[in-house]
Amino acid sequence: MVPAQYYLLLSAAVFCIGLFGVLTRDNALYFLMSVELMLNAANINFVAFSLFWGNLTGQTFALFVIALAAAEVAIGIGIILVLYRNFGSVSVTDAATMRW
Amino acid sequence: MSAVSIVNAAAAAPLQVVLPEWTAIAPVLILALTGLLLLTIDAIWPGRNGNTTFAFVSALGSLAALTVTVWYLVAGTGQVGGSITLFSEAIVVDGMALFFTAIFTSVAALVVVASHDYLAGHENAASYYSLLMFATLGMALMAVSNSLATVFVSLEMASLPSYALVGFLKKNRGSVESSLKYFLIGALSSAVFAFGISLVYAVTGSLLLSEVAAGFDDGVAGFAGVAGIGVLMIAGGFAYKTASVPFHFWAPEAYEGAPAPISAFLSSASKAAGFVVAFRVFSTSFMPLLDATPAIDWALAFAVLAVVTMVLGNFAAATQENVKRMLAYSSIGHAGYALIGLAALTAGGPHNGDVMGAAMAHLLIYGFMNTGAFLFIAMVEYWGVGRTFEDYAGLSTKAPFASLAMAVFMFSLAGLPVFGGFFSKYALFASAVSAGFWWLAAVGAITSALSLYYYSRVVKALWIEQPNGNLDAIDSKPTGLYAAVIFAAVATVLLLPGFPIALETAEAAASALFA
Amino acid sequence: MSWIAIGALALIGVGIPIAMMVVSALLRPSVPEQGKSATYESGEIPTGTARSFKFNIQYYMVALLFVVFDIETVLVFPWAVIYNDAVSTVGLTRALGPMLLFIGILVIGLVWAWRNGAVEWIKSPRATRRKTQKQDA
Repeated sequence: MVPAQYYLLLSAAVFCIGLFGVLTRDNALYFLMSVELMLNAANINFVAFSLFWGNLTGQTFALFVIALAAAEVAIGIGIILVLYRNFGSVSVTDAATMRW
Repeated sequence: MSAVSIVNAAAAAPLQVVLPEWTAIAPVLILALTGLLLLTIDAIWPGRNGNTTFAFVSALGSLAALTVTVWYLVAGTGQVGGSITLFSEAIVVDGMALFFTAIFTSVAALVVVASHDYLAGHENAASYYSLLMFATLGMALMAVSNSLATVFVSLEMASLPSYALVGFLKKNRGSVESSLKYFLIGALSSAVFAFGISLVYAVTGSLLLSEVAAGFDDGVAGFAGVAGIGVLMIAGGFAYKTASVPFHFWAPEAYEGAPAPISAFLSSASKAAGFVVAFRVFSTSFMPLLDATPAIDWALAFAVLAVVTMVLGNFAAATQENVKRMLAYSSIGHAGYALIGLAALTAGGPHNGDVMGAAMAHLLIYGFMNTGAFLFIAMVEYWGVGRTFEDYAGLSTKAPFASLAMAVFMFSLAGLPVFGGFFSKYALFASAVSAGFWWLAAVGAITSALSLYYYSRVVKALWIEQPNGNLDAIDSKPTGLYAAVIFAAVATVLLLPGFPIALETAEAAASALFA
Repeated sequence: MSWIAIGALALIGVGIPIAMMVVSALLRPSVPEQGKSATYESGEIPTGTARSFKFNIQYYMVALLFVVFDIETVLVFPWAVIYNDAVSTVGLTRALGPMLLFIGILVIGLVWAWRNGAVEWIKSPRATRRKTQKQDA
């Protein structure tokens, strides 16, 4: 069996890749994809430790996270669409009528 | 305790009507049914502008949920004879859950009544009200969550409709922009939150709060780092929901750009929802970490966050020219006050219940006064007067009652000793001092004194300064908005004599968590 | 030991296409021609560029609905897996009821979206004109 630490390292790496994307991209769609990556890093942990602890809680919860991620993307795409209609771009830096 | 009814089967005396246990989550069910009913009505008669119908149904639904909640609170459901757990302990109904559900439903009712005028002439009224109901439902579920799984799901259930509500004015660039920023930071923080939960699961092997606590009790020796990062990430998720440092920067944007009733809803109910979960998760699950070896001192982290949040929120509010934005920053400051409820906890401390109870009471009063203040701004937006302090000059000549109510909210938010806000702050700081955290109380008192400066600027503009000719636009009386503002003011004033009862209920509810 | 097999499979899987491309690059004659570099659109002549092309907004509406309802099936799968066991332990009502409730809530949402025109395909004026012309002819 693969030691538990490896899973933690893998998920931490995926999480950091997602975080890097969030911090460096100014396209809202890339932002969404990066957040998905971070959520999937959490899913890796849930599934891996579900096996480690021998209960199904983690696997079940991973399914919930997937469903919620889809719902979040649905809302996000909707917001990005109205953003495009109002500002003519999907860049998060263009929408700056208020002070940040 | 009422002689009529008790929901808890265990504590029922012969003469009392015993309801089945699942009815303990009746407030949640009522909110869900109201939301679905709104969608059904709109699906049967689409395209008809049913603003009044929808507002009526949602107001009725939230008031029904509020009534049931208050009834349960009075009857002692989940308080006498222990809390009621449902769905294999994933849901818990106790004093704290009911206390916060009462806050959410009353704020929702006020916001619905106020929205009726604000939405006049808008399309898609059904989606607005149903989103509002679903967001309230998510918050009510947050209050009864007893497992990290339900915490995460209900937190998302409250957040997702909120994103859409903030961007409800689809053609208003400010609304869309603030919705985007709210969503982006929300998505980021929910990912961080989920990762934190996964790390806690990795260490303890369970998501149920009680089992997580048991897992931490056994010691986290080999996994202290993982557990610490997980707890910190979960705290980050709560910081987002409560609009406190370091995830606070969405708040001024979202509150400024959103339709004002939604700003009221988010800054009062959503913030309280973040606190109820934070209170429950940290006090039930993470207490063992405070005196574990090696200790993970999250209380210290919250203490630092509380100080930074109080200082930053209040100083930033003092520099604003836009009243709505000023209130947004002041709401960050108030998140800092409520954070004392977590920061002043100690392992096995005798004052834990008092501190947390005082924070809960503060959130209750804050719910009314802050909702009222934002609804006043909604009324000013409805008139199209303007947004800065200068634009507000002399409003009392046109709208004396509303301006009086606004003065009540402002002085109460500042904590002047004549309104409810003073007592809640006093109880909070006093309990922090008795728990040995005098420096938290000192920072709170100093920043409160500073807050008096910017709150009184509003009152000065309303009552003392002369109108500068922009008030001619005021030609209508929005009845619903007026009613909501006046009602919130009455509640703020009534909570002055009623404060001991509120505080007692809150402290009893909080102490039950530490028992 | 099983890792060796997987590694070998991966090596061969990557190796074969690379080998094929290398061999064909070595053997084929080089005849540059404009038609070869054009985008293949199933025989249609491509117009415009790939970047300026805009989808009808309604693709997104349908896609959004699809994503939401499609993902809900992940919650149905585990239920379906344990359904038979659940019926024998807790009875039909308690095994079937919650899922019916869940689907019912989704149906209310779908019906609402449907009645409010989320899946209505609004035709562009040009498409409507073309259709009437066809009928006239």
